[in-house]
Amino acid sequence: MGLLSPQDEIVLKQHLSTLSKPVQLVLFTQAFGGSESGQVAKQILDEIAGLNDKITVVEKSFVLDLEDKAKYKVDKAPAIVILSDDVDTRMRMYGAPTGYEFVGLVEAILVAGTGNIDLEPETMAWIQAVTTPTHIQVFSTPT
Amino acid sequence: MAAANPLITADAIEATEFMDLSRKYRVTGVPKTIVNETIEIMGGLPEQDFVRAALNLPETT
Repeated sequence: MGLLSPQDEIVLKQHLSTLSKPVQLVLFTQAFGGSESGQVAKQILDEIAGLNDKITVVEKSFVLDLEDKAKYKVDKAPAIVILSDDVDTRMRMYGAPTGYEFVGLVEAILVAGTGNIDLEPETMAWIQAVTTPTHIQVFSTPT
Repeated sequence: MAAANPLITADAIEATEFMDLSRKYRVTGVPKTIVNETIEIMGGLPEQDFVRAALNLPETT
């Protein structure tokens, strides 16, 4: 049984129809010693990818794919790296994207696949004026 | 923010999955945001307030 309800799928499919660029969701999981959330993350990503052919899921092993892990600077799993037409968006999700995290994932996919960033012009100007590496970590829970 | 500037990286972390990190950053409520290991933002804020806090911009910006 799918994690997304038929109603969720209809709404999501409509949102995703605005994608103009391919989006790759690179999922790092740990087969042994990893948590179940890796499998949940995979199922969610597969269900999303099934709704729009511009979205693909690329599976990587957190233990074996060391080159990719280093490339995307992934230091924990499960991790989802969001690429826009193979270009790293520098948006990452750690843990299974359920609950509120799911909304964040969909928003990240929309940004990656449309190039549209829904921010006020003034805020955008502040962000674009940043000249030093900035690492933002947002902690949340599914409920 | 990450999509708007190549110098910015944004991680969304499920707090209960990564308890060690949550303890490290003293996450007692969510959302909690940590910027460059130094700035802490508790709760959700309006867009401009959040960006101002995250980038440590003065109130008059």
